[in-house]
Amino acid sequence: MAELQSRGGVSKALNAAWVRPFLFLIFIVVAWDLSIRLFKIPPYQIPAPADVVAVLWQDWPELLRQSWPTTYATICGFLLSAAFGIPVAMLIAGSRTVESYVYPLLVFSQSVPKIAIAPLFVVWFGFGIFPKVISAFLLGFFPVVVSAVQGFKSVDPDMVDLARAMQGSRFHVFRAVNLPHAMPAIFSGLKVSVTLAVVGAVVGEFVGSNSGIGYVLQRSIGTFDLPTMFAALVILALLGVVLFWIVDRIERLVVPWHVSQREDIILTA
Amino acid sequence: MKRWMAALASALVLTAFAALPARAADKVVLMLNWYVYGEHAPLYYGKAKGIYAAEGIDLEIQEGRGSAATTQAVAAKTANFGYVDVPTMMRAAIKGAPVIATGVLLQTSPMSVMGLAEKNIRKPEDIKGKTVAITPADSMTQIWPLFLKKTGLKESDFTTVAGDGQTKLNAVINGQADLLLGYVMDQSMKIKDAIGKEVYPIKFADYGINMVSSGIVANTEYVKANADVVKRFMTATTKAVEAAEKDPKGAAQSILDANPKGGKIDTLTQGFELTIPLYRTTETKAKRPFQVTDQNMADSVNLMVEYGGLDAKAKENPKAFYTNEYLPKGGS
Repeated sequence: MAELQSRGGVSKALNAAWVRPFLFLIFIVVAWDLSIRLFKIPPYQIPAPADVVAVLWQDWPELLRQSWPTTYATICGFLLSAAFGIPVAMLIAGSRTVESYVYPLLVFSQSVPKIAIAPLFVVWFGFGIFPKVISAFLLGFFPVVVSAVQGFKSVDPDMVDLARAMQGSRFHVFRAVNLPHAMPAIFSGLKVSVTLAVVGAVVGEFVGSNSGIGYVLQRSIGTFDLPTMFAALVILALLGVVLFWIVDRIERLVVPWHVSQREDIILTA
Repeated sequence: MKRWMAALASALVLTAFAALPARAADKVVLMLNWYVYGEHAPLYYGKAKGIYAAEGIDLEIQEGRGSAATTQAVAAKTANFGYVDVPTMMRAAIKGAPVIATGVLLQTSPMSVMGLAEKNIRKPEDIKGKTVAITPADSMTQIWPLFLKKTGLKESDFTTVAGDGQTKLNAVINGQADLLLGYVMDQSMKIKDAIGKEVYPIKFADYGINMVSSGIVANTEYVKANADVVKRFMTATTKAVEAAEKDPKGAAQSILDANPKGGKIDTLTQGFELTIPLYRTTETKAKRPFQVTDQNMADSVNLMVEYGGLDAKAKENPKAFYTNEYLPKGGS
């Protein structure tokens, strides 16, 4: 489908990928401020956007410093989810036996609330970064496995047969046919997983930590410092957005041929 | 025939009287500061013994998730009354939360740094070189720097690990930490339940930290609109505390009757017995519970402003945080 792109400066600006969500964000902030004024919401229940921005502006060195442990735990947990999730999915997709034993238990374990068992991780692994990594890993694991299984199972069996018929070894066929076909699904799972990994890291910090954005959150709740609490939430949301965008960029590099990566092409006369 | 008619008539009259609407009791929700432990015994005892019902109050007790959260609930009118750490309530009140303490029960602080008795940590000097488990920004952690100052300790003298309430307990139970900051009657009893070992608390009050602690708080608008209910509630609670003081085991048992998983009878009783001495100071020895002195409250506010991070403008009017006017007078 071809689309003529207008030459006007404003609409060109509007078409830039980041502008629209930014405008929407501004709209939400304005609506938030208006609601507080209209409904006379007191500051100890919901802080005014101006106060939150003030905290972000004034305290950004400390907030940035506290973001590193959380980011580190998130990324490590996410990488573990990917590293374990994709092979597990391969096993499940490849073997009916493995699937019938493992998959139901995996679904069962997903419903166990991680926040309830997080204190146990601290007992077993201490107060360092490891329990947070485990927490992030456990939250991010399931979406990766489910999407990857879906991806591996949706490979066209005729393509596989064709490749095998051309004397492709199992490994070659896997690398050339199965894996690329499964990639789009795997990446969609990875994108969900990375945002959940942020949650997992924060849960781990709530339960046992001296540092990190989860610690800032916990501390601000105890002192009724709602602007800082909301500032911490904003940072966590931003962390999720940035990581999601990074995975998205990697996806563009790895599966540029997929239909979801196509952009509207412009035909000029 | 006449007798039959008389019987029918009296039956009808009696039914008519029975059908008259009885004076309905006022439904009141009290939210606690935490999950139930020994300190809460008088409240459950009062409910079990009908002391609240006698004042026309139908009491529902809900467990809370920290004094901060319960204060927020009372401010938002989700709960009518809260049983919370009053200094924490002051922090919310100074930021504009419409809450006031209608009775301060613990006039001496239950805060302590405690560890297993077998570790022999009895004096502040023994804390040097040990590991202390804290929960960031909870009521004890905010006063901890003052305790360190009063006992000549520095943050660098020991290691600190942070976690939520459950993690603190696990840390001491499993040896990851030597001490935790807790209430003298709460975590000590939970550790005793878990591993059967005695816990020795170093009380903040023994080192010059004179601060009030738990009390009943209510929303200021609710108090204005329902002054009579508040009066009856405080009367009933005062009576409940007095009755529980005389029957600690019965009081502890009432917790288990309402909440069978609330703990074990021996440690709940012991926890409650540890709480009773905190009800009064030397000035209020002969008085009924809740009757806190203005001096005690002013001292607590000053301490909170100096070390608890409370806004300095709180000093201008400490009386804004509490009122004794809803308490019953004299003897029952």
